[in-house]
Amino acid sequence: MKFALFTGCVAKGATRELMLSTTRAAEGLGIEFVEMKSAACCGAGVLSEKTPLVADALNARTFAIAEEQELDVVTICSTCQGVLKKTECHIDSDPGYKKKINHLLEEGGHQYTGGKIKVKHFANILSTEEGLNLLREKVKRPLAGLKAAAFYGCYVLRPSELSLYEDSDNPTGLEQIFEILGATPVYYDSRTKCCGFPIVMMNKETSHDMAGNALIDAIESGADCVVTGCPLCHLSLDSYQPEIEKMNKKGYSVPILHLPQLVALALGYSPQELEMDKHIVSTARLDKILEG
Amino acid sequence: MIKHDVVIVGSGLAGMRAALEMCKDLDVAILSKVYPSRSHSGAAQGGIAAALGNSEPDSWEEHLYDTVKGGDFLNDQDAVEEYVKAAPDVIYELEHFGCVFSRTPDGKIAQRSFGGHSKPRACFSADRTGHTILHALHEQLLKHSKSIKIYSEWYMHSLILDGDRCNGVVVSDIRTGAVEVMQARAVIFATGGYGRVFNITSNAFAGTADGVMAAFRAGIPLEDAEFVQYHPSGLYRQGILFSEAARGEGGYLLNGEGDRFMEQYAPARMELAPRDIVARAAQSEMDAGRGVDGKDIIHLDLRHLGEARIMERLPQIRQLGIDFIGVDCVKDPLPIQPTAHYSMGGIPTDKTGHVITDEQGTRVNGFFAAGECACVSVHGANRLGTNSLLDAVVFGELAGRSALAYVNTVGHAKVNESHEKTKVLEQFENIFQQNGSESYNDIRDEMKTVMTENCGVFRDEDRLKVCIDTIQKLRERYERGKVTDKGKVFNSEIYEIIELGNMLGMAEIIATAALARQESRGGHFRTDYPKRDDENFLKHSLTYPKDGELEIKYKPVVITKHQPAERTY
Amino acid sequence: MATFRIKRYNPEKQPEPYYEEFQLDIPQGATLLDCMNQIKWTLDGSFTYRMSCRSAICGSCAVKANGHALLACQRQASHLVKNGDTIVLEPLGNMKPIKDLVVDFKPFWDKIDKIKPYLQPKTRAPEKERLQSPEQFKRIDDSSTCIMCGSCYSDCNVLEVNDKFLGPAALAKAQRFVEDSRDGKTHERVKELSKPGGIWDCTHCAECVERCPKPARPFDRIKEVMTVALEERVTNNTGARHAISFTKSIKSSGRLNENTLPVESVGYFNVKGLFDLLPVGLRMLFKGKIPPILHKSIDDVDDVKRIFMEADKE
Repeated sequence: MKFALFTGCVAKGATRELMLSTTRAAEGLGIEFVEMKSAACCGAGVLSEKTPLVADALNARTFAIAEEQELDVVTICSTCQGVLKKTECHIDSDPGYKKKINHLLEEGGHQYTGGKIKVKHFANILSTEEGLNLLREKVKRPLAGLKAAAFYGCYVLRPSELSLYEDSDNPTGLEQIFEILGATPVYYDSRTKCCGFPIVMMNKETSHDMAGNALIDAIESGADCVVTGCPLCHLSLDSYQPEIEKMNKKGYSVPILHLPQLVALALGYSPQELEMDKHIVSTARLDKILEG
Repeated sequence: MIKHDVVIVGSGLAGMRAALEMCKDLDVAILSKVYPSRSHSGAAQGGIAAALGNSEPDSWEEHLYDTVKGGDFLNDQDAVEEYVKAAPDVIYELEHFGCVFSRTPDGKIAQRSFGGHSKPRACFSADRTGHTILHALHEQLLKHSKSIKIYSEWYMHSLILDGDRCNGVVVSDIRTGAVEVMQARAVIFATGGYGRVFNITSNAFAGTADGVMAAFRAGIPLEDAEFVQYHPSGLYRQGILFSEAARGEGGYLLNGEGDRFMEQYAPARMELAPRDIVARAAQSEMDAGRGVDGKDIIHLDLRHLGEARIMERLPQIRQLGIDFIGVDCVKDPLPIQPTAHYSMGGIPTDKTGHVITDEQGTRVNGFFAAGECACVSVHGANRLGTNSLLDAVVFGELAGRSALAYVNTVGHAKVNESHEKTKVLEQFENIFQQNGSESYNDIRDEMKTVMTENCGVFRDEDRLKVCIDTIQKLRERYERGKVTDKGKVFNSEIYEIIELGNMLGMAEIIATAALARQESRGGHFRTDYPKRDDENFLKHSLTYPKDGELEIKYKPVVITKHQPAERTY
Repeated sequence: MATFRIKRYNPEKQPEPYYEEFQLDIPQGATLLDCMNQIKWTLDGSFTYRMSCRSAICGSCAVKANGHALLACQRQASHLVKNGDTIVLEPLGNMKPIKDLVVDFKPFWDKIDKIKPYLQPKTRAPEKERLQSPEQFKRIDDSSTCIMCGSCYSDCNVLEVNDKFLGPAALAKAQRFVEDSRDGKTHERVKELSKPGGIWDCTHCAECVERCPKPARPFDRIKEVMTVALEERVTNNTGARHAISFTKSIKSSGRLNENTLPVESVGYFNVKGLFDLLPVGLRMLFKGKIPPILHKSIDDVDDVKRIFMEADKE
């Protein structure tokens, strides 16, 4: 399997452990990722607040580059995934708009054709039959005894017409992966909810409350850790966990893992090799569980 | 006791428009058993008529003639004339309120063709015209919320009449069950229709004859109750509406053999003949075994319009088909059947909105009615599509204006609060205490079935007699009904029971008036009297309550410009 | 035979809600509302909910089915049967239950009121209609399909924790006026909508889009209002500064600068805001999570800059 890797900005910045663990997971699975170094930021649904046209043009440019490489795009961020799909859907359904966008791309030497490449989240690749078989084959250290709570991230689920999950109200992709890795999935209501990250600057209390409610829900459902496919969710749930604890006057200390970290752990990489020590919330308690 | 200058019962287009007419000068209350924005005016889809001439030259004279011919010459032409003349300004005013209309390329209000209209006269907002007008008026209501008090989820039980003067209404708060007397210098009814007496109907659950029956119980007759419109395109079995706009945009009606059968019935206008004619044609095809798959199904075929046109002009229709029966009209024809849709009859009013009680036009002082619950009569024996939204807005405004003028001449009259309140409280108590064994649900189902089967598109003496007989028996059983919920808070069951009582009364009135009219005209078709009989029946019926029985009288039709002529399309 | 597991609540009888199960054969073609009526009319007359038009236009019958808001009249019951044979029915969220599935809509309507939900015309009324092109009509076409059913309000993730948020329905209604070519208060409106509780408090979760039974899709409308607010230069707030800083960063480097974004978002002169950023910043610094201080551009960033410039010309 070979894909064009759309890293997104945060995996190259505040959650560099995501980038590293993605590389490790790919390596362990024998998947080839070709990093799209000239692709621009997806806009995160924020650029489109200011200029929807440019946001779509930059994403169309990304697709055009993948078309040139003849590779499907893989994302490692729920937000990137959803935002890219939205652009794809908009352009593909409106020929006039596509023409306008391509006009903008022309001088840079790119043209978006459409229908040639697919855009998928890493989790989508792993939760297909082929992906699950590959995982099954490569797992070296089953994560037995680990109760993992999936946190999907809004953008891979909603709007459902852009989601790659069959039933976006009750997705099972991440949980299927957990099971293959030997972990026990924890089902809880908040797993499809919002982490509050997009408004952490604008309305801290609300944002932290949203993240806090999700954490409490996961803990009360028996989770040892929360696993997310979105680095923004990770920031909200991990980096801001001390603030949330302070606000709620309660200690949670729930480790938050990036999906590739969980995968790579089961492939035999150590927490250090996955930079789990970079997390704000210590992941030490997981070591004990995994040691059995 | 609650006190306002004017109480409006019903918050659809007519009620809200009336409120806006008075709110600058008076303390107005508007009452709805739902929320104003949930009124059934919002379900109207296709358009609102006015001779704007935005896509073809048009005139009020043509609108008048089309309306009168469509109504099979039973319309009061003096009222129709005022109504069609008022139409353009009423539309402009809605537009100025902010109503969202579809537009022509040059930015004017777009207009489309509709059944029985000789010109493209239907102003529209895609296929949700009623909805956008309802919300535009609701917006204005909120804008004037200081002088208009909205009573949402309140139910009106009875009209307070003292001799020839109306002094208020008795109401209850559905949320708490509290009964209150609302004293007012004038009352306006804008309570809508009563399609729920039929099994197959496009009407909301709220369309249960509450207003008309409250008037009737107070001794006021109902006019032209026999005239019920069956809309040709109700969804098979459900009855919900697929707008006539679907045909206005060029849709075909096909029988089971795939023929555009309207060729046999109205070769000149085809699918765009008036609704009574199209509904009868559809019913005839089905009765002759030419329904689709031998069932009571006609196909509404839009496929040739193409997806782009459908999405621009009829998006809601498409979604309804997908959601309710899993049929995408872009790919497949929609299964439809005639559905009880509109009541041409109602509380008799003059052309100013005053309620009248007899041939002489004797007024009930301080009591006004507008919209579907009223019979002016501008629609005669059959209403043309898009004329009802217009009716609601024009006469809502007129009733408001008349009430304003009237209120300026009178004060609040004395009301015996405890007496009025007790009557309603006793009604509640009777239902709670009767401890019967009859299922209200069975009674409701049997009423609806007998009405659709025997008092529907085709009627005759035998069937109508069966109908009346059945309803009378159901009314007896109603007195022995069994109630489950005896609570006060949001007791929707008790309100459904009260509504059923109203519907049983209304059903009997419809069937009785239909039995008396021994001719066929507009929406009323008697297979035993298949011809129109101008000599004997060019007149409006008035059904009065008399010692627990019904008494039918008649009053003449006002004819000004157009003498009755043969009606061909 | 399907099981309808219904959340019942009747404050006259007992203060706490409870679940009750009803068994029903779902007739072919029956909507969820048809089934609810069957339950009410044949099994338990006290079962309470709102309904009216049964054609998805009045907005009365919104309830939660299997955890998510929808219009009961709009859905085939058979499509909702999950986990074997059960449909779970609950009242809408984010509003107080009155009885069974009936909730108190007052906060919902109060917020609609707050956005001044009526046209404030630019010009005096002409003799005929105000002109509006089909394109201008299209800008407000979707938002005007809203039926005020409260489904979006029920499932809004922000409202769950912050009842000051105006919520998706009111903000979508606001878009209907903000982008109405006939309205004269665009600037005043977006200024008001940019305050706390307004557009910038939306968390992009798109639950409202998912639950909306009509094409109104509130989140899409909220983003349109954001764009207008920025065009109108209503920028003295964190949300607007965030969008501007984000854009600036992509324009100059092709990617997000996570170091400047928080600072520019709270504003250089917002001492308290900046101070609030410190703990998380220090924490991340300590863990080696602070993004590289020397912000690196993507390859071929010039093409990105060119696209921004070209688009500006349009």
